[in-house]
Amino acid sequence: MALVKIKATDGTQITFDDKMIGQGGVKDVYFTEDRRHVVGFFRNKLDVYGKERLEHIVGKYRDSIFSQDGGEYWKNLFCWPEKIVEYNGKTGVLVPTYAQEFFFTHGSSTPVIDIKGREKEGKWFANPWHRYCNLDKREIGDWRSYLNICLLISRAIRRMHAAGLSHSDLSYKNILIDPVSVKACIIDIDGLVVPGKFPPDVVGTPDFIAPEVMQTLKLKISDKSKKIPKRETDMHALAVLIYMYLLCRHPLRGKKVHDMNDENRDEELAMGEKALFVESNKDTSNRYDIKWVKKNEPANRYPYIAPWMDLDKRPYTILGPYISQLVRQAFMDGLHNPSARPSANDWEDAIVRTIDLLQPCQNPKCEQKWFVFDNTTKPICPFCNTVYKGMMPVLNFYSKRGSSFKLDNHRLMVFNGTRIYPWHVNRNVFPNEKLKPDQKKAVAYFQFHNNFWYLVNQSIPKMIDITDNKKIIKPNEHIQLTEGRQILLSEDEGGRLIQVQLVQN
Amino acid sequence: MRRLPVYLLLDCSGSMSGEPIEAVKSGMQMLLSGLRQDPQALESAYLSVITFDSSAKQLVPLTDLASFQMPDIVASGTTALGEALSLLCQCAKTEIVKSTPEVKGDWRPLVFIMTDGEPTDDFNKGLAEFQTMKWGITVSCAAGQGANVNTLKAISPESVVMLDTADKQSLAAFFKWVSSSISTSSKSVNDTKQEIGVDQLPPPPPEINMV
Repeated sequence: MALVKIKATDGTQITFDDKMIGQGGVKDVYFTEDRRHVVGFFRNKLDVYGKERLEHIVGKYRDSIFSQDGGEYWKNLFCWPEKIVEYNGKTGVLVPTYAQEFFFTHGSSTPVIDIKGREKEGKWFANPWHRYCNLDKREIGDWRSYLNICLLISRAIRRMHAAGLSHSDLSYKNILIDPVSVKACIIDIDGLVVPGKFPPDVVGTPDFIAPEVMQTLKLKISDKSKKIPKRETDMHALAVLIYMYLLCRHPLRGKKVHDMNDENRDEELAMGEKALFVESNKDTSNRYDIKWVKKNEPANRYPYIAPWMDLDKRPYTILGPYISQLVRQAFMDGLHNPSARPSANDWEDAIVRTIDLLQPCQNPKCEQKWFVFDNTTKPICPFCNTVYKGMMPVLNFYSKRGSSFKLDNHRLMVFNGTRIYPWHVNRNVFPNEKLKPDQKKAVAYFQFHNNFWYLVNQSIPKMIDITDNKKIIKPNEHIQLTEGRQILLSEDEGGRLIQVQLVQN
Repeated sequence: MRRLPVYLLLDCSGSMSGEPIEAVKSGMQMLLSGLRQDPQALESAYLSVITFDSSAKQLVPLTDLASFQMPDIVASGTTALGEALSLLCQCAKTEIVKSTPEVKGDWRPLVFIMTDGEPTDDFNKGLAEFQTMKWGITVSCAAGQGANVNTLKAISPESVVMLDTADKQSLAAFFKWVSSSISTSSKSVNDTKQEIGVDQLPPPPPEINMV
């Protein structure tokens, strides 16, 4: 090894170790001397546009995201190139080293799979055989971890799209995730697409390529009808990613065979022109049953894969009403109609509301530990089939709009430890990067005591028990939850009114 | 799930004994542990090893990477490359899953052939059989100066690579390149071309020359 000193295009000095640590699709990667950054050199010479794009990525685009309100927040979510370097006629980028939690601490439970200390590429967590057989149990988190990770990814993509950028190659390869600390980080940002300015240089990664791109894959780049990656194709990839992390199966890989003699053509049709949602209720020709799964998966992997590929027992509707709606929009209405696909913002919003519908499974051995309340009086964990027993309050949210209160499409499940945050108190507060530090603190919590549920006010200035003659519940006072009770959390515009519903099972 | 079958055809003739065969063994070990670290390859790639000396043998049938056991490789005898190609065809015919209305068939197999000498058997017979079947990418590697590049060109006209010597470093580089080629193939989408070709593989390291 030898240290090489070079100057970045902005004049700062960079020292890197000339021992290559990795090779990506287009870059060779080296550590800087302090190992806090890596330098990735493009193997092929970049053209003028390629260089201009990099200049924008480390300059204008980076500033537009990191120098704004909430900029600090994005540093954890994006591994964004910081500087451009040139060495031996090759162009490279200086990128922060991935945070420690994105490297496996324990790795695999199978000795021959030696991945301890390696990057937590998302693919390890999207395949149920990897997640539940190959990875060490201490690496995989629970179902809530993945829901929260999907929220982070949606938020990051929403921010990118808001800045007018498209990722263009969104996949589990380009996102590192850590289900243990519940973190996600978008990597390989140097291929960003700006519509009309910088075209994509890749078509994407199998599993995530949008049908319209797949369908026109073989057309020449000069052909006007050729579809290339852009914002709408990111939206397809995001939907696939979320579906895969939450359900451990691919939404379009079903049993339909399109070309019996040519696997490449079959793949092209199944992911392109003839793409069809496996759970479509309009056309069930791509839907499989468990017998088909048994025929198509290796016997030793079947026990891990089968529960997830059981479309009858784990249909997409277990994701709850908000996400289900978007799944239909993405894979039925929008599959071949890009403009109908849900935006990253839609996903973020739906996941935030779904998190409020989570309830803990009462089976201590349940692998997933959490599931989405199914809106019935007898909630059952879809993962281990345990019926929820006991009294369970569900809070329906209304909010103040002008002089009246309107029902919000938002409910909160109460279990021991549920908290009320400022975004529950007022519908105009949204839990995202813009939250101020004091808005991240819980303002009230719930407690089950002597067979009754109580709401304990911590710091809501004026909580009002509407049902009990508009009695004011001051901070540190509590109120018992009873069927139909109405509690006002704020009198401001957008302020929330809670209506209590008690489910007894 | 579609499997990606990978066949390795390795020359184990007498001339490979000593450093070359040891390098092949450690190269194989490296290939295996490397591919097992790639979740995509671990999911879909299946590996088989066919060796050829005075005759050809399938040492390991098509096996998933997690359960693959390293075979014991010994160098001796002559170079039955023709027979190896015939055996490859036989194995592929029985092992490759074809699509049916109920089952998703395998991807076309990747074939990597490594030899350090001239075939000593009826090469053309094996070649003719090989050419009747459909393959994914086929790469042949001439390990050292003793290998006949023209013979290899007959097998894979567009993708013959050459190692100057069949030493440890060159063979290690070759197996590493095979490993990243399998990784890439397990996640590539063939853009604009009708058939996948060697130009979609990662560029070979300096020890390997494209012929």
